[in-house]
Amino acid sequence: MKWWTWPLTACALLLAAGAIAKCEPKPGLNTFFSDGWGIDADNHRLQRQTTLTRNNVHSLRLAWSYGLANKKPRMWPLATEDTLFIGDTGRGIVALDRNSGCERWIHSQPGEIASAILHLKIGTRTALLYLERTSGVYAIDATDGTPIWHAEVNDQPLPLYSGTPFIAGNIVYVPISSVEVALAMNPIYGCCRTSGGMAAFNAATGKKLWFRRTISSPARQVGRHWRFVKEYGPSGAPVWAAPLYNAKRGLIYFGTGENYSRPTTNTSDAIFALAGMTGALKWVHQFTTNDSYNTSCDVPFDHPNCRRPKGPDLDFGAPPVMVHLANDRDVLVVGQKSADIYGLDPDNGAILWKNRLGRGGALGGVHWGIAANEDAGLVFVPISDIEDASHATRGSRPGLYALDAATGKIRWQHARTSRCTERNCYGGISAAITATPDLIAAESFDGILEIYDAINGRLLWSDDSWKHYATVNGVPASGGTYDAHGPMIAGDQIIVTSGYDSFFQKPGNALLVYQLRKVTP
Amino acid sequence: MSEARDMAKPLAGRWRRLFATLIDLVLVPALTILLVMMTGVMEDPEDYRNSAFVLPVFALAISSYLLLNGYWLFMRGQTVGKRLLSVAIVDHSSGARAHFWKLIFIRTLFFPFLYLTITPALIALVPLIDQFAIFTKQRRCVHDYAAGTRVVKV
Repeated sequence: MKWWTWPLTACALLLAAGAIAKCEPKPGLNTFFSDGWGIDADNHRLQRQTTLTRNNVHSLRLAWSYGLANKKPRMWPLATEDTLFIGDTGRGIVALDRNSGCERWIHSQPGEIASAILHLKIGTRTALLYLERTSGVYAIDATDGTPIWHAEVNDQPLPLYSGTPFIAGNIVYVPISSVEVALAMNPIYGCCRTSGGMAAFNAATGKKLWFRRTISSPARQVGRHWRFVKEYGPSGAPVWAAPLYNAKRGLIYFGTGENYSRPTTNTSDAIFALAGMTGALKWVHQFTTNDSYNTSCDVPFDHPNCRRPKGPDLDFGAPPVMVHLANDRDVLVVGQKSADIYGLDPDNGAILWKNRLGRGGALGGVHWGIAANEDAGLVFVPISDIEDASHATRGSRPGLYALDAATGKIRWQHARTSRCTERNCYGGISAAITATPDLIAAESFDGILEIYDAINGRLLWSDDSWKHYATVNGVPASGGTYDAHGPMIAGDQIIVTSGYDSFFQKPGNALLVYQLRKVTP
Repeated sequence: MSEARDMAKPLAGRWRRLFATLIDLVLVPALTILLVMMTGVMEDPEDYRNSAFVLPVFALAISSYLLLNGYWLFMRGQTVGKRLLSVAIVDHSSGARAHFWKLIFIRTLFFPFLYLTITPALIALVPLIDQFAIFTKQRRCVHDYAAGTRVVKV
């Protein structure tokens, strides 16, 4: 390199820094492109505020990319008319200009930001709401990131905040899981005694209103191992996913996961309906019995904290969806990691229809989320079926399915295959999907973003994210596995995060913003 | 006469010292784990809140070290591993039994760092530098220099 290139490079860097600094710090807060994890209150994951259609989707191009600070992003962004709020674990909440990716402001947040970012009104202020995995719920001012309140549950000692909250009126419903699922790997830990639950907080103040355990009876000692270490149960039944509040019935619906230890309960792998105001149980319907599992069950030897027989770990990881049918009835659609999908009577939990779409497994089956289009009478279901510690790929049927919302019968399906033989390249769809009236956007394990025609399942557009990206913030970024919360669609953009190595998938740190190419007249 | 005899004791061999250390490296955590199980300090979910278990476990690890080695260190300058391998720690200048306080408050402080060798981080260099000093002519590790000791065959 010539000597005179150094000052030139320094000047260029200074100019770049200046360009970032020049970004208007105040975000526009008039239009929000989602009101929750499910975009609408029924968890349809259907984005109506978009110009993307089957006719123009071919002109989607990568507009800009942003290098995240971590390689397993687990957040879902919030878009306004000019701003994208993201959770960048390792840094905090970042407000980006939607057109350029320049940073408006950063709110420092230690820990792992694990949820979708929501918005709400607190007095005259517009606030953002999000979860940090172990420390709780945070509300900050959307204008500049100023903290407003922080809340946590103290009803159990090791809460894990994983599922996105649901805001209904002046109440924030927060799903509660537990760190014990992983702590059980420690053989001298007395597994397990915490219960999953649902907490309700005052949206304006963060004050806790109620907490409902999913296992009503407290854990008791049920045995010992290695002479000294006590064993406890029942435990588990965590709530991993966002709930759904149905204002007509005044009920909050959510699914639970497995028991961590034995004895098992009739509330694991179940769907709950609680009174939204009090947390009182309306009904609970269990779909898999005797499912006792924690991460110690995945080790290749007989771990003392894994109670036998080992359960299949068939959580409800996907939020429930309320679909209003043409016959004026409602059906609550729930998908399980077993790859079963059910239509339930929302008043009593009775099964109206069911269908099994794949082999299922600890990472799905149905893993992160389904979508629905009431106008078309369809429910869209991504199937993962990836190999896990208990299940080989044999018998798997990964891909995307459209079901009749009234009967559960398959209307169309699009099978996906692996691009290579390694686990990283597996073709299933674990991440939640997002629909528009015309389209389905789906992300696959093997790092490909695809857009399907919602009516017939035809693949219309795709892009491979397994590459390195030059980013607007100068942080080197590469794509990896698509997993977790799935794509966000806002206006003429699709926003995704590529990379997720929580379960030995391909890591990555790319925030990618695709946009319809502007056509000049 | 006794002093001259102490000074005449041959330096312990490097392999012998290594195996003695390895024995201690296994025995101390083994007893610690047993004590942790008996006391239940890592058994409850509350123990993991804000890593509350760290201090009690650290205290139990120190107790384990002292329970296993305290008596023989005081009496003969030997840990269990050194006793099994017939080596002992002596004062470098006099060759006599090393002061107990020096063994506990200086030399033993280096012991927990040995576990860092299994970490892939740069901090693993600390115990490695300490141990590799044994390849000098005096066969003394950094902790020997710090405590004014050497290890001899008995």
